[in-house]
Amino acid sequence: MKILVTVKEVAEAEDDFDIDGLDIDERYLEFDLNEWDEYAIEEAVQIKEDGDDVEVVSVTIGPERAEETIRMGLAKGVDRAIRVWDDAFADVGMLDPKTKADVLSAVVEDEQPDLVLTGVQAGDDSFGATGVTLAETIDFEWGAVVNALDLDAGAGVASVHRELEGGIEELTDIELPAVLTIQTGINEPRYASLRGIRQAQSKPLDLHELDDLGLEESDLESPLSRTAMYEPESEGDATVFEGSAEETATELASLLRDVGVVEG
Amino acid sequence: MLDYLDLDAELTDEERLVRDTAREFVQNELADSIGTHWIDGTFPTELIPEMGELGFYAPNLSGYGLPGVSETAYGLLMAELEACDSGLRSMASVQGALVMYPIHAFGSAAQKDEWLERLGTGEAVGCFGLTEPEHGSNPSGMATRARPDGDGYVLSGTKTWITNAPIADMAIVWARVGDDGPVRGFLVETDRDGVSTPKLTEKLSLRASITGEIGLRDVFVPEENVLPNVEGMKGPLSCLTQARYGIAWGAVGAARDCFETARQYALDREQFGGPIARFQLQQEKLAEMATQISLAQLLAHRLAELKERDALRSQHVSMAKRNNVAMAREQSRVAREMLGGNGITADYSPMRHLTNMETVYTYEGTHDIHSLILGQDLTGIAAFE
Ligand SMILES: Cc1cc2nc3c(=O)[nH]c(=O)nc-3n(C[C@H](O)[C@H](O)[C@H](O)COP(=O)(O)OP(=O)(O)OC[C@H]3O[C@@H](n4cnc5c(N)ncnc54)[C@H](O)[C@@H]3O)c2cc1C
Repeated sequence: MKILVTVKEVAEAEDDFDIDGLDIDERYLEFDLNEWDEYAIEEAVQIKEDGDDVEVVSVTIGPERAEETIRMGLAKGVDRAIRVWDDAFADVGMLDPKTKADVLSAVVEDEQPDLVLTGVQAGDDSFGATGVTLAETIDFEWGAVVNALDLDAGAGVASVHRELEGGIEELTDIELPAVLTIQTGINEPRYASLRGIRQAQSKPLDLHELDDLGLEESDLESPLSRTAMYEPESEGDATVFEGSAEETATELASLLRDVGVVEG
Repeated sequence: MLDYLDLDAELTDEERLVRDTAREFVQNELADSIGTHWIDGTFPTELIPEMGELGFYAPNLSGYGLPGVSETAYGLLMAELEACDSGLRSMASVQGALVMYPIHAFGSAAQKDEWLERLGTGEAVGCFGLTEPEHGSNPSGMATRARPDGDGYVLSGTKTWITNAPIADMAIVWARVGDDGPVRGFLVETDRDGVSTPKLTEKLSLRASITGEIGLRDVFVPEENVLPNVEGMKGPLSCLTQARYGIAWGAVGAARDCFETARQYALDREQFGGPIARFQLQQEKLAEMATQISLAQLLAHRLAELKERDALRSQHVSMAKRNNVAMAREQSRVAREMLGGNGITADYSPMRHLTNMETVYTYEGTHDIHSLILGQDLTGIAAFE
């Protein structure tokens, strides 16, 4: 059995940052593995550890910088990794979910996985659509926002819990091949061990360019473009009182008095 | 995180991953509870096997399931552990550099088979018994004796100030054979008849670390428990060189944590109508702190290069241990002072680091003793003989 996990290196802004054109100034960004993807990797690695002959492959669309994040996945038990990149990606800037799904579908074509795990969403652009769009593109069954997964590889069925609004959970059986978008909390992601980190250095990490995937630059044309980025004006300041109930109550009372809500 | 001279750029991917893993581990597992452990005088013993699983004990050694990471990666790990607390780094130093290292370097095949994997995974805990009540800085004067007896030795004496002794499964005990034989290393299981490991309490420093004594009352150990491949003070001293290397890195981590805490506090704390960070007096402190930490960091990185190509002398390590710990001791005090009254509480790390540094300044060769080692190296005259 083969599991493909899509992983993304996301940008996280510091508390104080400046906007530079259509993006946050890179000086204020830190890059890290998308939180949801950590859970997707862990889920795949646990399936591998519980089963026989399971291969876990990760795929990332990202620049060379992302390799460190990819290696962290390899250190946590992913068997090999694919990085898709081409100068053309740098030129187009923003990729919408459909374009990403098209690129990833070319990788699915090559790899023929039985199961694709993605994160529910990426912490930076929060489209939350790539996994499901990919399922549609490659014509796989899909389940979104999965927070428990029980796989019967022999029968080719994934029994999943899905988190719905209002604390309701849905149980669904999904036939493989399928795409599941993984919710945080489904498992407890491990730390990479130092042994794992060492081993990761010798695991394959292959670069695929557009050519290798049978794609062309025109395939990256996105119907979406970012037109502006700005920080919304805050409408009011929140004041947080810290301390014991007695202290905070006193502070609250004097504030209420100051703003004229109560008298005296 | 302070890395003023961009030493990050010199690291390999692997080294960065080791550092990030350690940072994430202490952040998630201990950041919230370390202050309480320190106040309560407890060590988070449940993390001992977890740290083993992650490969935090002697990761710079190879074989026996040990990962064999670079000396820089090992140093970065020590810095991240000590940025949390010196007690945590001490756990890793004792287990890795003072217990696993001598078995790896001087042990028999059977000793390695019996202990290295179990110690590496944290299934077993070891301790290192060199210091005695009457012999600290001059351990070669030790009174602990090993008297040949049949197919083994009988050990008698007392070791004190021994990190982890009360929770250890085994101790590496350094004892003199007869009255004027060489010092040898003995692997002593703590459940042997005649071994006691009482705990020392009421420490005012390194409180999040368990310290005790090893009482040896006519303890029989078989010949096969003697480290076969080393004799004399070279045995314990070579272990200490390994551990001090980790301390030179660790101290930088503690100082960095103090700096980061003080910088953030200075930006947040408002007095006289604005953040205290706008005052030149505070900025001078931050400037000096950042400079001293960066210099210590350079020293640590240089040690790693020398160690990696086998050109590291123990005197180099003495210089770095002496400098970097004194630096962390000074700078933790400055950070504490910048936090005003809040700096006096355990809610913030600087005073915890400050008091920990008193131990780190004293153990593994006091600051003075390292001055004498350097003095001897520079003049050819030993002041301590
Ligand atoms: C929390 C803690 C944990 C420890 N863990 C361990 C452990 O795991 N294993 C272990 O074996 N030991 C351990 N030690 C012991 C530590 O290594 C010793 O305390 C240290 O070597 C100093 O010895 P001493 O305390 O006997 O001080 P002394 O040697 O009595 O020194 C007292 C003072 O005299 C100075 N001095 C001594 N000789 C000279 C000289 N020739 N010239 C100038 N000044 C001199 C010293 O610098 C010091 O300031 C630990 C200590 C502490 C506090």
